[in-house]
Amino acid sequence: MSRYVAKRLVSSIALLFLSTIIIFLLMRVIPGDPTITKLGGSIKEVDEATLTQIRSDLGLDKSIPEQYVTWISGIVRGDFGNSYFSQFSVTTLIGQRVGATLLLALMAMIIGLAIAVPASVAGAIWPNRYLNAVLSAFAAIGIAIPTFVIGIALIITIGVELDVLPTQGYVSFQRDPLNSVKSTLLPAFTLGIGVAAVTMRILRASLVEIGSASFVRTARGKGLLRSQVVVRHELPNASIPAITQAGIIVAHLVGGAVIVEYVFARPGLGTLLVDSVFQRDYAVLQTLVLATAAAFIVTSLVVDVLLGFVDPRLRVEAVS
Amino acid sequence: MSEAIVTVAGDAPVLPRSESVFRRLMRTPSAAIAVVVVLILVIMTFGAPLVSPYSPNVSDFDQLFAPPSWNHLFGTDELGRDLFTRLLYGGRTSLIVAVAATVIAMVVGVAWGFVAAFREGWVGELLMRIADMLMAVPVIFLGLVLVAAFGASLWSLIVILGLLFAPATARLARSTLLVELRSEYYVSAVSVGASGTRIVARELFPNALPVLIARASLILAEAIFVEASLSFVGLGIQPPDTSWGTLLQQGYSNLYRSYSYPLFPGFVILVAVLALNALGDNLQKVLDPSRS
Repeated sequence: MSRYVAKRLVSSIALLFLSTIIIFLLMRVIPGDPTITKLGGSIKEVDEATLTQIRSDLGLDKSIPEQYVTWISGIVRGDFGNSYFSQFSVTTLIGQRVGATLLLALMAMIIGLAIAVPASVAGAIWPNRYLNAVLSAFAAIGIAIPTFVIGIALIITIGVELDVLPTQGYVSFQRDPLNSVKSTLLPAFTLGIGVAAVTMRILRASLVEIGSASFVRTARGKGLLRSQVVVRHELPNASIPAITQAGIIVAHLVGGAVIVEYVFARPGLGTLLVDSVFQRDYAVLQTLVLATAAAFIVTSLVVDVLLGFVDPRLRVEAVS
Repeated sequence: MSEAIVTVAGDAPVLPRSESVFRRLMRTPSAAIAVVVVLILVIMTFGAPLVSPYSPNVSDFDQLFAPPSWNHLFGTDELGRDLFTRLLYGGRTSLIVAVAATVIAMVVGVAWGFVAAFREGWVGELLMRIADMLMAVPVIFLGLVLVAAFGASLWSLIVILGLLFAPATARLARSTLLVELRSEYYVSAVSVGASGTRIVARELFPNALPVLIARASLILAEAIFVEASLSFVGLGIQPPDTSWGTLLQQGYSNLYRSYSYPLFPGFVILVAVLALNALGDNLQKVLDPSRS
């Protein structure tokens, strides 16, 4: 097992290293001079000496490989450079905002799974035509419905008319856990519906497939209740493909979070991303892209290790 | 002589099938509804002057934020303009952007996938690895980065959306083509000495087409959604141009004065996305039963 984990770890680190090179080159290919950002767009009125000064402050006068080495050695020390736009370091900016996004993602995940798993199990226990039609419709609409539509509808109904939950902003979790969760409930529910729909689609498909396996027939044959068969025998086996596709669910979370944070005016990483695009703040932008790439690589590593625990065949295959 | 054989093999099954596809599609209720909804949307947006008596840009300052009524079906906006009319005219931008982006995605994606399928060595491997990597990044996220790079004009938006959906199309085109390359008609076309271009253009492409058409419908839906999302955060279509996304954005910023203002653009986007998704899913089932 440890050999399997070590092997996956090494390839993940290699992949992460490769993605730093790609992201770095991508940011250098992008048209537009980052010094413009620093000067607020008024580059024409600035004399040559100031421009050279700023270029050397930002390290842009060095060769591309040199710039890369500076960047990567900073990352290793936890220093992601300074924002081109504001005076803060990228680490500070991200540190201020990561909490709002993490809490949103976590709560959306919990809400999504709390809807998807019981609903999928219910669909498998009672093979009722109408129930399953409703579940399929929910999954189809839940995947297609844009998050801004759910968000705006929730703001109007629960936020403004009923006035029971806050609709804008975020309260820090360290300062006030209860209000922090309260301020995250509406956005998390908005995002959670999409997560539930994606998870349901995957889980229900694999439950149907598992339903015809011989161990399921055996379990039924020895007289177990239908609910026992589904919960104890089908669900654990059906969740393997669902875990494999966790990447799709994480992608849905990350993409949806950008819009949801905007709708609910949350100071999170999604709104930071939108701001950095507006401000052409490439220092922040490249760090956020790298962080996303890292999130996906770590997700797939965790998934593979989890599957290795669940299914011993996989780790034998990977090592040999 | 050889041409005659090849033509029969390639063309014969295509014509009768394309006729029955529409009928088979219309037999499924959800597909029939989707077709009708898409047709209504297209006819109403492009025939907007016939549908609505108002101009999208004429203000009526006595009617600011009017609620929905018979005179103004969807109400009016912050300048007293008819929202229904503005959605019709804005829909033109949204639909044109989506269609143009889908065309780019199909052309780039099919070329990408076909090259990867024919060059199975390291070239194909590399092309597919790149596609996989790009597909792992959430579309909105990649879209925002590309907007940072190329700006948010109408044309750059079309190209950006086209490039966003090319990798998924490439993967589908490759897997479809790999199936066709193992078929008997391909082997016979090669053995009668048909040229490479001819085999691709007259044999392989027509046979791969049904799968690709179904995918195009799904890409259209996603392009409408992503355009709306980018415009919603202010990084898509730029005012004074209007699209469903910019109307949604303006409605959202006036949410506390008029509930109907943000809800109607959102509803229209939802209907368009749902209809095109349903159409794509059903097309897939009808055109290529083996995949569903």
